[in-house]
Amino acid sequence: MRVGLFVTCLADLMRPSIGTSTLKLLENAGCEVIFPMTQTCCGQPAYNSGDSENAKRLAKKLISEFADVDYVVVPSGSCAGMIKEHYIKLFESDKEFLSKSEWLGARTFELTDFLVNVLRIENIESSFQGDITYHDSCAGLRELGIKEQPRKLLSKLQHVAIKEMPGAEQCCGFGGTFSIKYGDISGRLADLKCEEVEQSGADTLVLGDLGCILNIEGRLRRRGNSKTKVLHIAEVLAGENLGDETPK
Amino acid sequence: MEITSHQFKKTASLKLRDQKVQSALGKAKGKFVVARERAVKELDNLEEIRQAAADMRSHCLENLDSYLEEWEKNATAKGTVVHWAESAEELNSLVVEIAKRNNVKKIIKSKSMIGEETGLNRFVEGHGIEVKETDLGEYIIQQAGEHPSHIIAPATHKSKDDIADLFAEKHQTPRLDDIEALTREAREILRPHFLTADMGITGANFMIAETGSTVIVTNEGNGRMTTTMPRVHVAISSIEKCIPTLDDFALINRLLPRSATGQSISNYVSMTTGPKREGDRDGPEEFHVIILDVGRTRVLGSDLRDALRCIRCGACMNHCPVYQNIGGHSYGWVYPGPIGSVLTPAYKGIENALDLPNAATFCNQCGVVCPVKIPLPDLMRKLREKQFMRNLRPFAERLGLKVWATLAMQPFVYSILTRTLARIGKLIGGKKRYLRKFYLVGSEWTKQRDMAAPQGRTFREIYGERQNLSKKEDVR
Amino acid sequence: MSARENILSRIRAANKSAGNAGSDSARVAGRLSNPVLGPRPNLDWDPEEQFIRKSVASASTIAQTDSMENVPGLVNQYLTESGLPRSGVCWGEFSQLPWAENEIEMEFRPATGDDKVGVTGCDCAIAETGTLVLLSSPDQHATSSLLPETHIAVVRKRQILKTMEDVWGFLRERPSGLPRQVNFISGPSRTADIEMTLVYGAHGPYRVHIIIVND
Repeated sequence: MRVGLFVTCLADLMRPSIGTSTLKLLENAGCEVIFPMTQTCCGQPAYNSGDSENAKRLAKKLISEFADVDYVVVPSGSCAGMIKEHYIKLFESDKEFLSKSEWLGARTFELTDFLVNVLRIENIESSFQGDITYHDSCAGLRELGIKEQPRKLLSKLQHVAIKEMPGAEQCCGFGGTFSIKYGDISGRLADLKCEEVEQSGADTLVLGDLGCILNIEGRLRRRGNSKTKVLHIAEVLAGENLGDETPK
Repeated sequence: MEITSHQFKKTASLKLRDQKVQSALGKAKGKFVVARERAVKELDNLEEIRQAAADMRSHCLENLDSYLEEWEKNATAKGTVVHWAESAEELNSLVVEIAKRNNVKKIIKSKSMIGEETGLNRFVEGHGIEVKETDLGEYIIQQAGEHPSHIIAPATHKSKDDIADLFAEKHQTPRLDDIEALTREAREILRPHFLTADMGITGANFMIAETGSTVIVTNEGNGRMTTTMPRVHVAISSIEKCIPTLDDFALINRLLPRSATGQSISNYVSMTTGPKREGDRDGPEEFHVIILDVGRTRVLGSDLRDALRCIRCGACMNHCPVYQNIGGHSYGWVYPGPIGSVLTPAYKGIENALDLPNAATFCNQCGVVCPVKIPLPDLMRKLREKQFMRNLRPFAERLGLKVWATLAMQPFVYSILTRTLARIGKLIGGKKRYLRKFYLVGSEWTKQRDMAAPQGRTFREIYGERQNLSKKEDVR
Repeated sequence: MSARENILSRIRAANKSAGNAGSDSARVAGRLSNPVLGPRPNLDWDPEEQFIRKSVASASTIAQTDSMENVPGLVNQYLTESGLPRSGVCWGEFSQLPWAENEIEMEFRPATGDDKVGVTGCDCAIAETGTLVLLSSPDQHATSSLLPETHIAVVRKRQILKTMEDVWGFLRERPSGLPRQVNFISGPSRTADIEMTLVYGAHGPYRVHIIIVND
């Protein structure tokens, strides 16, 4: 099974441990992982800013980079959603790329969805332990139906208890460029999410999107909370980056 | 209503820091969201009903001219006088004409958002005719000289104490502390007006083509009074409110009250077809309906047309995390929240509401609850696109996007740049591994948040090294 | 060209530009003559039980009897227990019932602002939502269920239909078509406009008492 890995521009730059964790999970499950070295961005920032010309250019590039795989796995609900749900909208009047987008979209999966529904992973071995709470990133939840998959995977870990937040599905306020255009409102939403996290009693917040991670973690630290860990689900499942070391 | 959407950012910031507004918004969120969830559980086939409602509304829009003609034919046959208006001024003038022709000195009014759009009250009062809002929320804001902050609960931004002070001042009565008592006082103040008004003005939730009827869904009883007591009744509506049949109304009426207030049905549904009949001992002698088209046909012919399916339930704003924290007044015109972020630029000009479609995270909490499945984030994105194409975005933003896209198309340059940024970022982050302040780009981030420093290497280089290592091992 | 002509032609132009063929008159005519019954939720309940359940949930009170003759007695009981005056206005169809014998001063005319109690019948009722359906007519005054603080409604059990869609059949069969107003009433008037706090008795009745007659 040739599985293409789209690591996402944010993870590549800011937190490659998400990429190495994803790689480890896929390889341990027996996948042949292909990482097209020329990959950069799925085009979402341009798309959501109304710059559809540049969004199309980046989309076409990605489509050609992943033309020769059986699956594409993305450790991000919003980037996976961009490829699966929005490329077909971008190219709705371009017959050639519409059909390529449909082809690619059908093969693209967010990481936890892939592990549960395609690989049907039974065992996960991770050294991670503790009380966690899970934040449902908006694109993953509402575009791709990612809700049970991460929880199913986490429940396979022996020393992990999930303490759900009542507002787990509430937007954290990242929204891409929204966070730097409307910092006031974005900060307030992040604050509300932080309160929920702290009230849950969990010592780690786990989630599937780096944008949300940076947003919530950034607000936690500014509020004076240096204790609550914020980890990507790939890291938790692979047992990586649990102690803040840079991956080798 | 004048548009103040260009002040969105400033107003939103003020509202975020206003304790009173925050407390009111918190109460509203808890009630509306919880109530809707409970009410839709009664519909075991909710998604099927939503899809049927969306399809029915789309079908209406595709055949709108035919249904409006059918509606008019049936309404006229029952004695309704039908008027058409192409501008706010025309609608307002028609109302005053009807009032003057009938020697109207006092008008009672049941909620109408179209009336807000056209500034009806001020225009009518300017012609020396008294207008009394009778919906409690609308009455409160009329007394306060304010605009509604929500399309269902217009005074949601006001606290009980605000209202107690207001009533004591305006009614010249002792200040009351109890919500029931305040409601009772409003009832007693308004009751004589219901009995003595010459004309009643209502909106219309729907116009039913099959029967030539207009329908209003209400809870207080003022809608029924307004359509029954005065000798003249004028209903103001807009073209997209027309639906084909009574069955279509029953379908949509399962969703409207549940989505709006969490009720299985609103207290009163009043279906009016023509004026008083021969022998009736109550009801108006004249019934007029004014059908408005201001901006609707332009939107109908655009890629925003799905927004015209809207049935004005308010669910989108109730569930919107942005609206929940900044309230309706920030949006600067009649319709707040996600639907307002689409309709305001669509009806009042994109350049007059630049912030609205941008002040959204695209979480789609709105799209998921919309009873007629309007793809609100997609429509907001289309508006962002139009802004971009018309060069309405700030120079820095356009430059930033261009630079980003150009770099992202050049993998080699990109890989070097990102490698460098990762290292510099890590360095600046220091031992605590946090960046505290951005200057210029992204400064709004660090006003309220830290930014985790990059881990120091890019995934690309880590993977590249791993591949090189394993190649070396293969060679060995 | 009139505003009407302008608007209609703009609608047609807008729909054409959106890629539609324009209004499909056959489809429109078809839907108008054969209205589409949309999907409805699970209706697996007894109509009378559901009607009572939903009426109580919307803050109405219920009494039941098996004879119309008992209605004035039940009205007396309700008004006495609630501390309300035993007088009011009533629809003409109940004028032959023993009101005076049950110590109630009833007048058979539309309500004014001074009447405290209004007694009406109904044309039918909707079980799904606990709703009364009242058509306006020379004998069925709209004010009786609106102006008084107390509304008492007499519902015959056989008038209770399952859903709103079932009411349409009844309306469509009327030779005179729709009356001036069809009022769907589901409980006492209410508002939550002040701090989202529910209060009964906004502008309409404070209370609704429903007497179900199974005759």
